[in-house]
Amino acid sequence: MSIRHLMAVIRKEISHIIRDRYTLFLVLFSPTLLLVLMAYALSVDLKNIPIAVLDHDRSQLSGQFVGSITAGDDLDLFTFAEDLDEVEYLLESGDIKAAVIIAPDFSTKIRAGEGVPLQIIIDGTEPESGGFAVDQIGLRAEEFVTEKVFGGGQLGVQAQTIELVVLPWFNPSLKSRNDLIPGLLSIVLGLPAMLVALTISHEREHGTLEQLLATPVSRWEILLGKMTPYLIVGMANVVMIPILAIVWFGVPFNGSFGQFFILSAIFMFSILGMGLVVGVFMRTQSAALALSFLLIFFPGFFLTGIFFPIVSMPEIMRMESLAMPGTHYGIITRGVFLTGVGIEVLWPYVIMLFGLGVMFSFVAGLFFKKKLD
Amino acid sequence: MEPSRSAAIQLEALSRHFGEVKAVHALSLEVREGELFGLVGPDGAGKTTLLRTLAGLLSPSEGSGMVAGFDLEENPEKVKKQIGYMAQQFGLYAELNVVENLRFFADLFDVPKNEISGRMDSLLEFANLTEFKRRRADQLSGGMQKKLALACCLIHEPNILLLDEPTTGVDPISRREFWHILGELHLSGTTIVVSTPYMDEADRCSRVGLMYQGEMIRCATPADIRGALSSEMLVLIVEEDQDLSTILGEVNGIHEVQIYGDAYHLLVDDAARRKREIARNLRRKKIKIKDLFASMPKMEQAFISLVKRQE
Repeated sequence: MSIRHLMAVIRKEISHIIRDRYTLFLVLFSPTLLLVLMAYALSVDLKNIPIAVLDHDRSQLSGQFVGSITAGDDLDLFTFAEDLDEVEYLLESGDIKAAVIIAPDFSTKIRAGEGVPLQIIIDGTEPESGGFAVDQIGLRAEEFVTEKVFGGGQLGVQAQTIELVVLPWFNPSLKSRNDLIPGLLSIVLGLPAMLVALTISHEREHGTLEQLLATPVSRWEILLGKMTPYLIVGMANVVMIPILAIVWFGVPFNGSFGQFFILSAIFMFSILGMGLVVGVFMRTQSAALALSFLLIFFPGFFLTGIFFPIVSMPEIMRMESLAMPGTHYGIITRGVFLTGVGIEVLWPYVIMLFGLGVMFSFVAGLFFKKKLD
Repeated sequence: MEPSRSAAIQLEALSRHFGEVKAVHALSLEVREGELFGLVGPDGAGKTTLLRTLAGLLSPSEGSGMVAGFDLEENPEKVKKQIGYMAQQFGLYAELNVVENLRFFADLFDVPKNEISGRMDSLLEFANLTEFKRRRADQLSGGMQKKLALACCLIHEPNILLLDEPTTGVDPISRREFWHILGELHLSGTTIVVSTPYMDEADRCSRVGLMYQGEMIRCATPADIRGALSSEMLVLIVEEDQDLSTILGEVNGIHEVQIYGDAYHLLVDDAARRKREIARNLRRKKIKIKDLFASMPKMEQAFISLVKRQE
């Protein structure tokens, strides 16, 4: 390993990143942007869900009930509907996500202490906000009945509760943003790894690799020289993202920042190693892009346990998820952010990450021949 | 060639196969130090594969080869240190400027640091690139890119230079300039192997190897290759465009007819005798002759004729 060769490759690679403003933007900001986007899109803190009310009762009590369910900032009363047709229209047009239908005998039955049927129609195409609306309305209805009826001194009346079964079918919203953002880090930091895979196949496509292979530079110098600049930009993101998470999203950071930085560097080494493997094996940029999506990006969503618990996976998938750097890093980030633990607890995952990084780099180096055949 | 000079490149029954395709097949060749060796042949003849093998980028499938004293099979990395190789599509780094590209290759070839700037200056001068030294590689003209590519291959002062169609797609003036540089390198004693589709370039080499379907079918000086035709050439131009194949077919001793625009190039056994016969036949058919004269066969005719004989 010649330092001079290595530095020459690193300098060349940095020029490539810096002088192409799109590449520069991509490596510096895309992980952060992607994280912000996903944090908002997958966010749980649903607010201002528009609903309509079809009040057949039109009593003072039903009016109070409507007032109480829309009191918070989670549900917004969009309109009072005249009939079911209007409710259907409003749901179809997307103006509302849920409708509450109050029966004509609402107040009579409440006063009589009988069971009150409350019909809620939700937009099934948006089960998240619909389910959330059902949740909130049920909660408020219970509060309302308890307050109005029990508070009114009428004993012996049972408040009717709506038993809700929310199926957590691809429902990231069961998790809070606090939990989500540290986990997302292991997905978005995969972007530099995709880029490193692309630079290798880019050189192959443009014929610069042929020229490079005809020089005395060693394959390890080429691979390490390509990895280093992306490690640096990856680390820039490692600094930016927690700041954003803390300042913008208010995610608590309970661990040590120094340790987080070092552990993140080990993750970057590991995931960049994976990028090198992709770049070494794929002949074209499009193939490299496709494979890095398959190997680096998608597993981040499905195998790392961020969205789906690993314990519920079949055995073979569990094995595969252990080979994904994101799995271990996801545990590390949540540990450092939320629990505030450090290396004393997280060391098994750190060892796994480092081992995977060494393995990936080794495989990449082994199969990256200084030949064209 | 001076007999004292040793072989820069020595190949013995070297083959390079890609599956069933025999890109280079049982090729033996010796290029002596200081030679300017031209490699010609139709597309797909195996020129690029041969040059890549010589550059240590492809392993030989069979046979053996020595370049700059090192075995291609055992020591390809040592070969790479000794030679300058310019690929057909030279990949310069587009984002780097002229000087940075040169510096990159100087670093990879471990050019002593105190010599870099001196060598760069003389190479830039040599290639007429001094005033463009801060220009990005992707903003150079095609001809300048080729010259920069050559300069990058020369920064470590290799004794052997392998060039794969360095002037393809370059305008005639840049082409001449490029060959002027090659001429100077040749005079300074550098061994050069250059593949080219241009016969006038082949003519400038000290020796030419003609490849066909992975084999070296002829390897001689340009004069010998022209002479190998064992025929003389007649150039015939008639007044009106018409098909002369039946008339010419009646004349004995015409080996081959090649058409260049209006002109028929006829390879014949005896130029003086056939000229009289052809003129007589054409007059009989009332075809007016604009021009009919004997000429020296050129590389191009020799090349086409030699390839046609293979087919």
